[in-house]
Amino acid sequence: MSTNTTQSRLGEFWGEFSKEKSGIVGLILLALCVLVVIFEPLILPWKEVNNKWRDIDYWQDNPASAPPEWTNFFSKTKSPVTQRLTKATREEVDLEGGAKMVTYTLDYKYEADKAPLDVIFHISGTGDIPMVVSIERPDGVKVDLFQRFEQGLANQDIRISADNDGRNSAFAFVKQYESEEALEAYSSSSLRTTDLLFNTAQQGMARQFKPLKGTYKLIAQAMIMDPANMDIKDPYVVVTGSVSGLLGTDDSKRDLASGLIAGMKWALLIGFLTSVVSVVIGVLYGIITAYFGGRVDSVMMFIFQIVNSIPVLPVLIVISAVFKPNIYMLILVMVLFFWTGSVMTVRSMALQIKEETYIEAAKALGAKNGRIIFRHMVPLLIPYSFASMALSVPSAIVYESSVSLLGLGDATIVTWGQILHDAMQGAAVLKGLWWWIVPPGLLIAIMGMMFAFIGFSMDKILHPKLQTR
Amino acid sequence: MYKWFAFKRILKGIFTYAIIIFVLSALFNTVTDKTVRAEIEEQVRAESSRLKNVPPAAIQRFQEQRRIDLIQLYRLDRPLLERILYQTWNSLTFNFGKSTIIKSSQGERDVLTIVGEALPRSLLLFTTATLFEIIIGIALGLKKAQKPGGSMDRITSVITMIVYGMPTFWLAMILIMFFVYNLKLFPSAGMHTVPPPEGIMYFVDLLWHMALPLLTLLLIGFWGVAYYVRNIVLGVLQDDYIMAARARGIPEHSVLFGHTLRTAAPPIMTMSILSLLASITGAIIFEGIFSWPGLGNLYWIAVQQNDIPVLMGDLTITTGIYQVGLIILDLTYGFMDPRIKVGGKA
Repeated sequence: MSTNTTQSRLGEFWGEFSKEKSGIVGLILLALCVLVVIFEPLILPWKEVNNKWRDIDYWQDNPASAPPEWTNFFSKTKSPVTQRLTKATREEVDLEGGAKMVTYTLDYKYEADKAPLDVIFHISGTGDIPMVVSIERPDGVKVDLFQRFEQGLANQDIRISADNDGRNSAFAFVKQYESEEALEAYSSSSLRTTDLLFNTAQQGMARQFKPLKGTYKLIAQAMIMDPANMDIKDPYVVVTGSVSGLLGTDDSKRDLASGLIAGMKWALLIGFLTSVVSVVIGVLYGIITAYFGGRVDSVMMFIFQIVNSIPVLPVLIVISAVFKPNIYMLILVMVLFFWTGSVMTVRSMALQIKEETYIEAAKALGAKNGRIIFRHMVPLLIPYSFASMALSVPSAIVYESSVSLLGLGDATIVTWGQILHDAMQGAAVLKGLWWWIVPPGLLIAIMGMMFAFIGFSMDKILHPKLQTR
Repeated sequence: MYKWFAFKRILKGIFTYAIIIFVLSALFNTVTDKTVRAEIEEQVRAESSRLKNVPPAAIQRFQEQRRIDLIQLYRLDRPLLERILYQTWNSLTFNFGKSTIIKSSQGERDVLTIVGEALPRSLLLFTTATLFEIIIGIALGLKKAQKPGGSMDRITSVITMIVYGMPTFWLAMILIMFFVYNLKLFPSAGMHTVPPPEGIMYFVDLLWHMALPLLTLLLIGFWGVAYYVRNIVLGVLQDDYIMAARARGIPEHSVLFGHTLRTAAPPIMTMSILSLLASITGAIIFEGIFSWPGLGNLYWIAVQQNDIPVLMGDLTITTGIYQVGLIILDLTYGFMDPRIKVGGKA
């Protein structure tokens, strides 16, 4: 059988396959997944998620356990959305003696019904800088949140959180409207800074929150004493809302959408690599044991039976717990167990093929065993191999996520199973943090579904008896 | 002839089992060694603390002597292969020793008791689930095969594919979140209320605790069974004798259940037993999520607490069940399908 006929066979197979609606749906989904993986750097809301998933500092400005942004759509009281404001206007005023007064102003349009959890101001500075950060409310009141003399900076990030650093000034601001007695009922710790800053200024404001909507100006003002060597630049403000991102955040403030997108390539890699390698091994194993028969067959079938009767998951878990393998080692271990999946079917198919006259003819012509196996037997089993690969992808993904769910996964990457593990650890089920549990599992299920669509459609073509048309 | 076949099959099963246990023992050899050494240290310390009014030098001498004795007793001074074989033999004879941390409900530390306690609980849950799965699966599968390509067949086939890669543990989490914490219909975990009620209420309580795990297993389980049954039955329905039976005017009902299902029984039986075995051995996470105190849950606790004797015991018993299941499958195959001549050369 030449390559031409192999090609025409595959072409025939494709012709049949393209008539299967579910198979095409599966292929389209697969293409979408591949596109997501290719364009990952563009799609990711948090670009460095791959390196910094376990870096607490990277996520520090996010709210913890916040629902997705779009939940606002369904609730009457709108929650503020986590935003990153980077559009700043810079003003410079020259002072006497060569010094400069630099002012950055950022606008925040506040239109929610609840106060944000925090307003965090970031700026990077060099040198010794006295600076004031203040917030100007729509009603014209300006509250100085924070003043400090930062010394010896070398292009470092200065982080000022309204909730922590502006607590005292916010309290002082409320004192103008509330009587001492009223304030005494509330200790400064029970009031959140932002609840005061975004509140309508009036008597009783410590007791109830009435949002003052409008544009807030966030102002950072610094005196640059030696403009040649000192400066502040690149300011940005993170308004920490109570809803955040496309899919919310977990209890370590991580953006779940980013984690899930980053996990997609690993799911695909695990699924593909495991299934392709194990099916190739399994198919060759099946052909060889059928082709040679006799003693080779009995020995190989015995090895097959032993591997086949080892319970996979318990052994996989213990190996992961003892040897702490990285993801490629884990894939290798899975291959060691998964290759048995296709052996029996291939063996029985190969036993039939072996008896065909053209194999006999090839033998009579003096063809070597390798040639007969690879040129005459393997091509016939290619369609079956594809179906078998597609159908074993989901179980590879589920096994990896099971191992990860137990906290035994590769700690240098982000996988969906690990996100589910964190959700279990964080008692997300008990707390009802559905946005932390539903998406990772749903993605695993969808990925399983798409490979099932592809695999079942191929399977149908391979077993004409099952065809209903 | 059948006896000889059965004898050979059982012997082969035992041999396979021994090899698997050998492989597992070799795999865990370093870990078991470490645990045994830690145990010896603990024992020596405990024994020497009991000695009173003895000079320090004598205590030290005693400790060293005991250490050497115990290391010899546990064969830690022997070559690697012998240690592995020793471990294999211990496992094969179910001589797992005492657990390091985990205790049975009676407070015993005998590994066999601990594992023996967990085994029936796993069997209870998973045999019940598999039984339901098969009944529903066969019923649905027959329905599907009667009108292949019909809307019912197509819709259920698509659902089969949708749940194909769905992780059971994830569905369990979702259902717990919804039914336990939102609707407060079922208990969140365990097998019994503490303390368990007496009499008939004991079983009602058990059923109440079993309901959600069962529901989860069923929701995912029976679709695959139905699809498999459909494919097999569809293959059988195209055989000539089915056409002959129909031509003779035998009612469709009897054709389906009498003729078709009889022929389709062996593969369905194989699949049921295999899926039961797979669910018992692969239920570590599932049982963990429901805190169902079976083998899987025990296994996970043993991994977490590094209790190697329990781990090895659990693994040995689980593998044993799997082997026994495979043997039973082969032995009953002949009864299910008389066409298969067992005993003679195939």
